[in-house]
Amino acid sequence: MTKCFEDIAVGQEITGRAFAVTKETVREFCDASLDYNPLHLDDGYMQGSFGKTQFGGVIMHGMTNFGLLTAMLTDWAYAHDGQHRRLETRWRAPVKPGDTITPSARITRIEGTLKARWVLLDVEMRNARGDLIATGEAMVEF
Amino acid sequence: MPDFETDFWKDAALRKSWDDLVPGAPRPTLPYVLTLEAIQAYCRSVGDLHPLYFDEAYAKKSRYGGLIAPPAIHILLMFACTPPDDWMRSPGTINAGQSWSYNIPARPGDTITLQARCLDKFIRKSRLFAVHDNVFFNQRGEVICSGRGQTIRPQ
Repeated sequence: MTKCFEDIAVGQEITGRAFAVTKETVREFCDASLDYNPLHLDDGYMQGSFGKTQFGGVIMHGMTNFGLLTAMLTDWAYAHDGQHRRLETRWRAPVKPGDTITPSARITRIEGTLKARWVLLDVEMRNARGDLIATGEAMVEF
Repeated sequence: MPDFETDFWKDAALRKSWDDLVPGAPRPTLPYVLTLEAIQAYCRSVGDLHPLYFDEAYAKKSRYGGLIAPPAIHILLMFACTPPDDWMRSPGTINAGQSWSYNIPARPGDTITLQARCLDKFIRKSRLFAVHDNVFFNQRGEVICSGRGQTIRPQ
């Protein structure tokens, strides 16, 4: 059932689906995104050093975070008859197979422009230990 | 995509290094026909089974009038619309962040084109950054989405 724009308020929180990361989910994302960078496939390659960073094994695509955050936002927007218009993200920490990550959002502002109403949200992704994986901002139009 | 080269090492020597990138110069791109199969494979890979992407009867009754792709389908389109020697495929490319704006949804059967460039490059804390700038269009020339990303380039 569609919810009303009038039900939306600053401070409301949204939680997306938890996603359990495995080597198989990373491989499936390679096939779905066509991003076959060895960062996501080759444990041997990932034993090397990347400047100051060492990963020690394959990592999930950063864009999987982006896709999971998007799914949370579109689920919420579609249910409120709004349109997801913008997402900006910054990656804070890598995600490895065995991690479970969960996206969430909080409404920070509701703005009106000449032709539309906008809901602004802060978004984040955390793993099961509570570590911050990604942060960002989103805009939904009504 | 049956003929897509999945070994990103194969054309590594052909790709531009950070030094070779000219901010402002267009990246070569390729048109790509977006299939329902590709949309749904992407959706499954992030556990997104919304009926707008899977249930034609539901989608027909929605404001979209038919099945659509989720906004983040540009994740797939970035690689689908670029040739094997594109520098985004350089092994060791690390994604640092992204910002995307969405205009209209892509739909199954759309022929997608991409206008893209390296917009900027800089060094921060001994890391080589490149900013890429992208706009995806459908076959009618309508903007689907536009966005920028920052990647840390392999040395």
